[in-house]
Amino acid sequence: MPASFDQSLWIFRSGQRSGVALVATLTVTALSLAGCSSLVASVGSKPGVIEAVGAENQYANVISQIGGKYVAVTSVLDNPNIDPHNFEASPSVAAEVGRAELIVQNGVGYDGFMNSIESASPNAKRKVIIAQKVLGLSNDTSNPHLWYDPRTMPTVAQALARDFAALEPTHRNYFQARLKAFDVSLQPWFNAIAAFKSKYAGTAVAVTEPVGNYLLQAMGARVLTPFVFQADIMNGVDPAPEDITLENGFLTTHEAKVFCYNEQVVDSLTSSLKATAKAAGVPVVGIYETMPTPGYDYQTWMMAEVAAIQAAVVHQTSTEVL
Amino acid sequence: MRFLFEPGFFSSAPVRTALVIGALAAVISAVVGVATVVRGQSFAGHALTDVATAGGSGAFFTGISPLVGFIGAGVFGAGAMDVIGMERLRSRDIATGIVLSVATGFAALFLFLDASKSATTGATQQILFGSIFTVNSSIVPFVIGLSVLTLIVMGLIYRPLLLSSLSGELASARGIKLRRVGLLFMLTLAIAVGVSSIAIGSVLSTALLIGPAATSLRLTTNMRNAISVSIALGVVATWLGVLLAYDSYYWFPSSRGLPVSFFIVALILLAYVVSGVPAIRRFAAQSAPGRRHMQLASRSVVAKRASEAT
Repeated sequence: MPASFDQSLWIFRSGQRSGVALVATLTVTALSLAGCSSLVASVGSKPGVIEAVGAENQYANVISQIGGKYVAVTSVLDNPNIDPHNFEASPSVAAEVGRAELIVQNGVGYDGFMNSIESASPNAKRKVIIAQKVLGLSNDTSNPHLWYDPRTMPTVAQALARDFAALEPTHRNYFQARLKAFDVSLQPWFNAIAAFKSKYAGTAVAVTEPVGNYLLQAMGARVLTPFVFQADIMNGVDPAPEDITLENGFLTTHEAKVFCYNEQVVDSLTSSLKATAKAAGVPVVGIYETMPTPGYDYQTWMMAEVAAIQAAVVHQTSTEVL
Repeated sequence: MRFLFEPGFFSSAPVRTALVIGALAAVISAVVGVATVVRGQSFAGHALTDVATAGGSGAFFTGISPLVGFIGAGVFGAGAMDVIGMERLRSRDIATGIVLSVATGFAALFLFLDASKSATTGATQQILFGSIFTVNSSIVPFVIGLSVLTLIVMGLIYRPLLLSSLSGELASARGIKLRRVGLLFMLTLAIAVGVSSIAIGSVLSTALLIGPAATSLRLTTNMRNAISVSIALGVVATWLGVLLAYDSYYWFPSSRGLPVSFFIVALILLAYVVSGVPAIRRFAAQSAPGRRHMQLASRSVVAKRASEAT
C-alpha cells in the first residue's frame, strides 16, 4: 500500500496530465484495502463451531462450559484492572460481536454498549441471552452485578443449552449433558453458601460498592453501608460527608466484621477506607467485578469469594487478592 | 444552631479536612489572585487551570496523588508560557492560548485513559470539579507547606511585582529583574491553582482565584485592603460552601448531598454581584480606613498603587 501511495504522490508532483494513471493507482489502493478487510473477515468460523461472545468473561466462561467443543467464545470485558462501568467498545470488539451467532450479556444497563454494537450489525440468526431478561428483572434493578446471585448462572446456562440446541440441533444431547454437569458442579458453592448462612447469618459487613451484595445476601450477611453511598462509589460521584463518616464509623468501631472492597473500582476514598479497615483490624476481602484470570472458572471464583468471606469472619484473615 | 449546622458537622473528619484545605486554598488564591487581576493575567491563570487538569488526570492515571500532578503540570505550564513569551502583552496571550489548548487536549486523553484503561472511578468528576470531602487528610501538612511557601514568595516579590505590573520601564530602571519576578509569580500562581484544584476542582479553581480578588478590588482602593478583603471573602465563601453542601444532605428525601464546588462558586458570584451595587461600594469606600473619598477613576487607583509599590 505505501508503494501505491507514493506512486500517486509522484503523479501529483510530476505534474503530468495523467488522470487515468491516478484513477488506476487509487483503484489499486482501494482493491488492496478491500483485500485486507476480506482477509480479516475470513479468520475464524470453522464449520460446525458456533462463534459466541460473552460481554463479561464470567459469562464467556459459562458459554464455553455449556458449548464445549462446538463453540469458539470471546469475551469483551476480561481485564481485571478495568472498571467495566466505564468501558468503551473498540472496533475489534464490534467486529467480534458482528460475527457472533450467540451472545450473553448482563443487562440492567451494565453493558449497554453491547446493545448499540448489536443494532449496528443486525443478524436475524443471532441469539442474544440477557441475564436480566432470563431472570425476569426490571430495568430499574438497582444492583446490576447479577452474576453474584446464585440463581443467575443456572438460569443462564439453561437458556444457553436451549439456544445452542436451536443453532446446532444435531448436538442437542451433548449440550444437555454439559448443562447437567454444570449444574452439578455448582452444588459445592451452594453448599458453602448454605453452611455459612446456618452458622453466621446476620454477620455485619461494610462494602464500598454493591458488587458482591447478591452473594452476601444469599450468605445471610447484613450489609451496613447505605445503598446511596455504594451507588455513588459505583457511579463515580462523591458520596456525602455524612455517609463517609458513617462508613468510617462501621470500621473504627468494629461494627463491621468484614470490609468488602471492589478491587476493580478504586479511588482515593475507597483506598483510604481500606487503610482505615486495616488499621482498625477489620479483615478486608477483595470482591472482583469480572472473573480473575488466569486459573479461575466461574465456579472456583465463586467458591474462592465465599471462602475468603468465611475466612474473614472465622479467622479474621484478609484476602485482598484472589 | 441546629438550623445552621446539621448534626455531626463539627465532629465529621471529612468536614474538618475540607475546612482546612478549603481555607488554605482560599487564602493563597486570594493573595495570588489580587496580583493576577492587577497584572491582567486572569487568562493566564485560567490557562494554568487547564494545565493543572492535564496534570491531575495524568497523575490519576499513573496512580500518583492528583495534587502532585496539578502542581507539577502547573509549574511546567508556567515555565512553558514564560519560554514562549510572557512579558510582551501580545505574545503573552498567544503563549497562553497555545499552552491552554495543548493542555486541554492532554486532559481529554488522560481522562479517557482513566475511565477506560484503569481501575479508577470518578476521575472526571474529581479532577474537574473537585471532591474536597474525599481528600485524604494525610496531604494536609503538604498543603500547609505549599501555602507557606507561596505566601513567602509572594511577600518577597510583592513590591517589584506590583511595580513591574504598572510600569515595566520604571521597574527596569530601578533594577528589577522583570523576567525573574514574572516567572516567580507564575510559579506561585501554579501552586495556588493546584491547591484550589484539590478543593473545588481544576476547572473551577479560576473562580477562587479571580472571584474574591475582583470583588475586593471593586470595594477597596489600596492593595493591602484588597488582599485582606479578598482573603476574607474567599475563606467565607469556601467555609459556607462546605457547610451548605453538608446541610444539603438533609434537604432532600434521597439523602444525597450536593457538590461543594457548586455552592462555593455560587457564593463567589453572589459576592461579586453584590459588590457591584453602588450603595455597597459607597459604604465600603466610607468605611475603608484612611480613605476620605472614593477614587472611582481607575487612573487614580493605578496611581495610588504605583506610589505604594515604589
